[in-house]
Amino acid sequence: MTANETCSCPDYSRSRRSFLRNAAAVSAGAVATTMFGDAFRQASYGVTNGNVMVVLSLRGGADGLSIVVPYGDPAYYAARPTIAVPPTSLLVRDTMFGLHPGFAPLESMWKAGKFAAVHATGLPQPNRSHFSAIEEIEDADLGSAARTGWINRLIGLDTERSPLEAAAMGSALLPTSMYGPQPTLATESIDDISLAGGEDPEAKRRRRSALTQLWHDGGGPLGVGARSALKTTAKLAPTLAQGYLVANGANYPDGDLGDAMRDTARLVKAQVGAEIVAIDYGGWDMHSHLGTLASTGLPSMNGMVTNLGKALAAFFTDLGALGSRVTVVTLTEFGRRVKENGAHGLDHGWANATLVLGGGVNGGRYYGRWPGLAYDTLVDGDLKVTTDYRSVLSEILTRRLNVSTSRVFPSFTPEAVGVMA
Amino acid sequence: MRSTVTSSARSLSRRRLVAGTAASGAALSLPLSSGSAAAAYDAYLPPVRPYDGTPLADTATRHMANRFGYGYTPALGAEMRSAGGPMNWFDQQLSPGAIADSFADGFDGWFPTMFTSAATHAARAENTSGYAYDVVADHGRWSLLRRTYSRRQVHEVMTEFWANHLHVHCGADLTWFWRHDYDALVRRHALGRFDEMLQAAITHPTMLVYLDGDLSQVVRRSTPLGTQVIEKINENLGRELLELHTVGRGAVYTEADVRDSAYLLTGWTVDRDGTWEGSYDPQRHYTGPVRVLGFSADNKLLDGRAVLRDYLNYLARHPATAQRIARKLAVRFVSDTPSYGLVADLARVFQESGTDISATIQALVRHPEFAASAGKKVRTPTEDVAATLRVLGVQIHKPSADQDAGNAIYYQSKNTGQIPFGWEFPDGFPDTAGAWSSGARMMGSFQLHASTAGGYWPKTGVTYRLGAAWLPQRRIRFDALVDHLCRVLHGRGSTSLLLGAACLAVDQSPADIITRDHVLTNYRMPRLIGLLLDAPQHLTR
Repeated sequence: MTANETCSCPDYSRSRRSFLRNAAAVSAGAVATTMFGDAFRQASYGVTNGNVMVVLSLRGGADGLSIVVPYGDPAYYAARPTIAVPPTSLLVRDTMFGLHPGFAPLESMWKAGKFAAVHATGLPQPNRSHFSAIEEIEDADLGSAARTGWINRLIGLDTERSPLEAAAMGSALLPTSMYGPQPTLATESIDDISLAGGEDPEAKRRRRSALTQLWHDGGGPLGVGARSALKTTAKLAPTLAQGYLVANGANYPDGDLGDAMRDTARLVKAQVGAEIVAIDYGGWDMHSHLGTLASTGLPSMNGMVTNLGKALAAFFTDLGALGSRVTVVTLTEFGRRVKENGAHGLDHGWANATLVLGGGVNGGRYYGRWPGLAYDTLVDGDLKVTTDYRSVLSEILTRRLNVSTSRVFPSFTPEAVGVMA
Repeated sequence: MRSTVTSSARSLSRRRLVAGTAASGAALSLPLSSGSAAAAYDAYLPPVRPYDGTPLADTATRHMANRFGYGYTPALGAEMRSAGGPMNWFDQQLSPGAIADSFADGFDGWFPTMFTSAATHAARAENTSGYAYDVVADHGRWSLLRRTYSRRQVHEVMTEFWANHLHVHCGADLTWFWRHDYDALVRRHALGRFDEMLQAAITHPTMLVYLDGDLSQVVRRSTPLGTQVIEKINENLGRELLELHTVGRGAVYTEADVRDSAYLLTGWTVDRDGTWEGSYDPQRHYTGPVRVLGFSADNKLLDGRAVLRDYLNYLARHPATAQRIARKLAVRFVSDTPSYGLVADLARVFQESGTDISATIQALVRHPEFAASAGKKVRTPTEDVAATLRVLGVQIHKPSADQDAGNAIYYQSKNTGQIPFGWEFPDGFPDTAGAWSSGARMMGSFQLHASTAGGYWPKTGVTYRLGAAWLPQRRIRFDALVDHLCRVLHGRGSTSLLLGAACLAVDQSPADIITRDHVLTNYRMPRLIGLLLDAPQHLTR
């Protein structure tokens, strides 16, 4: 098979990059934030330990080899004559790896032991189709007839079924990981969690009273949803009414990712019980012109990583001490081919790198078993996966959210990664 | 200018206002906490005052319009009456070509990316940033507009149903090249025969690309020892054909069946390097005996098209397929929990008629369970958009800017929580109340109703009915006005619960006289109408 045959999306230009994740969500960019599960849990149900997991999905298939660069593997530079990241530019190098320089704002977190990377992570078998790989990653229960997402199953572990739902900021459409029977909430931005109907305070109060009368009882599932909307909006109203000023001089980058991270910090600080927030950061499907460190535009690798580094650093700066309760993990549907293609880009591959930052992280080092980039160690030209992405997620879920993962990832036995304390 | 408010009503609404104030200030004092507290709620329930000047639709008419149309309107009610009743109207609708539909036909000229070949799409995508998004959005807009405004309502409803059954996710890689072409295929067969639709859909390029069917093949190489056959089989389409499109998991098929199903589909391919046309390449076809459920063939010929035709016909006419289609139709058009008897009846008609769709849905609408199911289904967000535009009499004009209503209809759907063809799995949108009743969906619907009722957004490319245009006469009591509005918007009269909520929402008492100059007419009408659309009467069908 040629490279083109294995790739289900021949390079269809920049338009495709932003197009990938549900065609609708991308009119203004490719970021969607989702928070759900026990968000806005009532105080009386307060069984959480206050920890928060943020799942940052790098939609499009981010190239792990540009993000966590195996500069010590000679095959890396041989495979990428025009787009390799130079060794001298790398941050926090060990003998094999270094971080892309776009992560400079996070270098201090790494050195403080709060930021780590796991290499050669991904799905147990190669799946190079965006669509079905996303489905596989987010469903995470292969072979099951039930099309539910792992996050929805996670929420379902809770015996206290709060009628309150979650919010997804950035898009009113749910990501696959959240599909399922448990209530979830998606919205364009935290400020949209409202009952609509204008700004006049008296009109708003009257509207709430009227809706309360209309839906105070019964109504089947719609009634449950309406009461949930009324309750959630009421609970968040004080937070929203205050507006939001970032703390500690945090400097979020302009754009959807920065906005989504700021909304997430705001939600965490409001301490209304949010346990999980999911954010989509799309635009990583770089089949052509991935660029070098001289490329600064957003469609380039350097632009994307730089934006990511800035947004994450601003997020933890803004959170301050609360950051010790928040753990961020990155996911993406697949890695990219080791060898660059004729268009100075990368076709779809297999293994990837996972970043883990924040509370409970055994940081300051690289994890995973490096399979190597030598030709005979590759699988159809791709880096082999040696750590199932579910093992990384399981470690975070177990250590930080105190949940057993056997029902989140059915028939999967996680192995120890070591990335979480 | 404000009219006088009677003292008793004033005190009632004050009481509510206080409760509302407390609710927005401290969440836990909300009067509607879950569980038993809800029963203790003290609703304001003034008596209804019927406004008989506005005729009421009979239940059968309203029900037909809400199930096999995108929402009852007085105009559709009149159409059914002149057809000789809802059942006659339904039968006439089964010949959509005979129904003049010039306004909806005009939508064909509204969106420049439509009616474009896959190859042209591919070429344009190379040079135009965001082009794929435009293609998908334009098709979504065109579909939403047709659903809302076409006079061929049953055809639109059934087109949506079958597109969802043979779902191709609009955001899936490359499938948008054929978005409109595929829609045309579904439309062509939507009231025809399922077996013919299945034959056309499964080998359509967009389905092949969506479920990797065109990549599934055998490769034949000549060697000195003879022809070497290398299998490069992708089971995706072969599996979903069984699981989703036909017999379902209820039919016990094995992994070997799935493999053979994939073998049968080999040969169909898409030219991904140039024309993007679908074609059949016998050299890619797997030969050799195959067996799937009760179907078997020796499959000796390189040209496997005839065998595939037989296989698809076998699946289309399989009893398990009839059961699945019957149940899906019953869930769509009757209730989330249809009886076994209804499903069995429909399955029998489907099978005995040779998968005739019109015959099956004619049996459905004549089944007693259909008539008894009015109001039992939840409107999906896209159905809410269509119904809201319909009942409000919103007139949309050909769009020229991104925020014009003809384009914004897509964003309205998205903001309410659903875009047409936007379900990310191959199994199509779910169709039960639970799937469409999240708190976010309710917030989205409330937002949609508020902005549309007030004409606040979209603002351009659109004509709204506003203010005094909603008054049925020069002077009218508030309670009678609410009843009139319920008849127009819900197709039925008001209730004490609705009237009481309306009083709370706009600070009126039932006996207040509303005139053209009244503050309600000029400022608060959007709040009143928005609230009536937020009610269960509008959110169910």
